[in-house]
Parts: sequence; structure tokens; C-alpha cells
Amino acid sequence: MNSLNKIIFLSAFLASGFLLILLSCALYNNYKPLWVILIFLIAPLPNIMASSIESSRDTFLTFNDNENSVTPLQEFCKSSTGFLIVSGVALPLMFYHCKLIEVGALIMSIIGGLIVYIDIVVFIWFFSHEEEENDEFNF
Amino acid sequence: MDHSNHLFRFNASMLRLPKSAKLRAFGVYLSGALFAIGFWSIIDSAVYSKSVNASDVHVTFIDWIPFICSTSGMLIVNSIEKSNLFQDSNTTNFMSGGNTNAWAARVILFLGFSLLAGGLAGSFMVFIIKYLLKHYTFPTLGMGVSNIVCNACIMLSCIVLWLSQNIEDEYSYSLAL
Repeated sequence: MNSLNKIIFLSAFLASGFLLILLSCALYNNYKPLWVILIFLIAPLPNIMASSIESSRDTFLTFNDNENSVTPLQEFCKSSTGFLIVSGVALPLMFYHCKLIEVGALIMSIIGGLIVYIDIVVFIWFFSHEEEENDEFNF
Repeated sequence: MDHSNHLFRFNASMLRLPKSAKLRAFGVYLSGALFAIGFWSIIDSAVYSKSVNASDVHVTFIDWIPFICSTSGMLIVNSIEKSNLFQDSNTTNFMSGGNTNAWAARVILFLGFSLLAGGLAGSFMVFIIKYLLKHYTFPTLGMGVSNIVCNACIMLSCIVLWLSQNIEDEYSYSLAL
């Protein structure tokens, strides 16, 4: 599969995810689940920032004996990734439990948010996989 | 390592954690997820108290104090450099100031753990005094329960993070003796 097809399919999935979240807001005329989009868009950012900072660090003349070890910055970013993913699921659940949104809006916004997040992760994974053959998945 | 140093007959190296970078990453993700569950649980109780609460009991600042204690305890515990802790106080080390450094690390770590435990105990105290002793029934009682769930999840997340930070990779070895 060449990269153009990948881009087209991924953008279609991304659009369907956004569509589900927007439908969950618009069908019930209640625009609280829109925050899910924001959370799931922020969710991949910490790992991207951590990997770019770590790759740009100069390791030439530093006595860094353990190159494979994980820095505290990366761990903090991983932890906040986990925090944001669970937040994106927990926010509609909280709204539903407090009777601020309906069941349909709950289901659609959770599925839509997960689609958006998985889409971004798969996008990053495809194109980092092409450039360098590393088998570690950073989501 | 000389074996006269151990205090107990079963030493801790018998139950060494499995070494894997993947497991370590998974533990870090899991701890973030557990922290999110705790955080959203207490947010849920606050929003519930504001929106659909039928009773006259509301979540006030008192309910937030255990959460604040637990979170600051978790911050303190996980930002300590752990190689400071296990410097032996009996041996004379030639680097100056290493011993006081270890003592400061121990005191701060003790403070962090007591903040965590105090958060959990405080949530139980709020639950018992504010909700259970006044014989409320369940939809009102749920606000106290979610407070306990919040603090227990934060403590669990701290434990998971601590354990997974002690997992070493296969390739790196610690040079701190």
C-alpha cells in the first residue's frame, strides 16, 4: 500500500471520528462532548515532544553510560499520555453519570474519540516505520 | 556482596522484578491511567453534587483536602532521586555531603509517604464522619465512596509507578554502588 492510499484512508477515518463526536453533540443539542476532541488531540502530544527532545539531545561528549535507559522526562510524558487517554473516556462517562448527556451521546463520543486517537497513532507509526526500521511502537 | 549485611534471612534479591523495557513502559502508562481514574472520580462527585443532587449534602472544600494531600504526596514520592536513598550510612564515603543528602532524601520520602497515607485515611474519615454517621442512603453516600475510590486509585498509581521505576532494562546497569 503506497503512502497516498494510507493518507486517504487515515483521513477518512479521522473524519468519521470527528463526525461521530459532532453528531453526539448535534443530535442532542448539547455541546458538552466537544471537549473529548480536545483531549484526544492533546493525548499523542507528550510522546511526540519527548521523542523529539530526546533525539535532539547531543550525546557526543557526554559521559552517558546507559544510553538505553529511560529519562524522567520520557516517563512523565508516558504517564501523562495514560492520564489523557483515560480522561478522554472518563469525561463522557462523568457527564453521563451526572445526567448532563444522553446514552447515545456517551457511546458516540467515546467511540469517536478513540477513533481520532488511534488514527493519529497509526499515522505516526506508519510514517516513522517507513523512514527508519525501528520496531518499537511509540504511541 | 557480603552476606553479613542482610538483616533478614530472605533477602530482597530473591524476588527481583522481571527486567523488561516494555513492562516498565506499560507500568508507567498504567500509573497515569490509574491517576486519571482517581482524578475523574472526584471530579464526578463534585459535578454530581452540583447537578443532580437531591439531598442537601454538597461536596465542599473538605472533600478535596484528601485529594490534595494524596496528589502532593505522589509528586514528592516520585520526584525523589532513588539512588540517594540506598547509600549506606555506616560506610565512610569519601565524597563530602553524601550522607546528609541521603538523610534529606529519606526525610522527604517519609513526608511523601505519610501524605499519601494521610490522604487515604482522610478520605475514609470524611466518608465516615460526613456521610456514614448521619445515615444517608446510597445516592448521597456515593459522593463519599467516590472520594475513597479517588484516593485509593492515586495510592495504587503511586505504587505502580514506584514498582515500574525499579524495573531495569536488560542492557542498562546501574553504576551507583
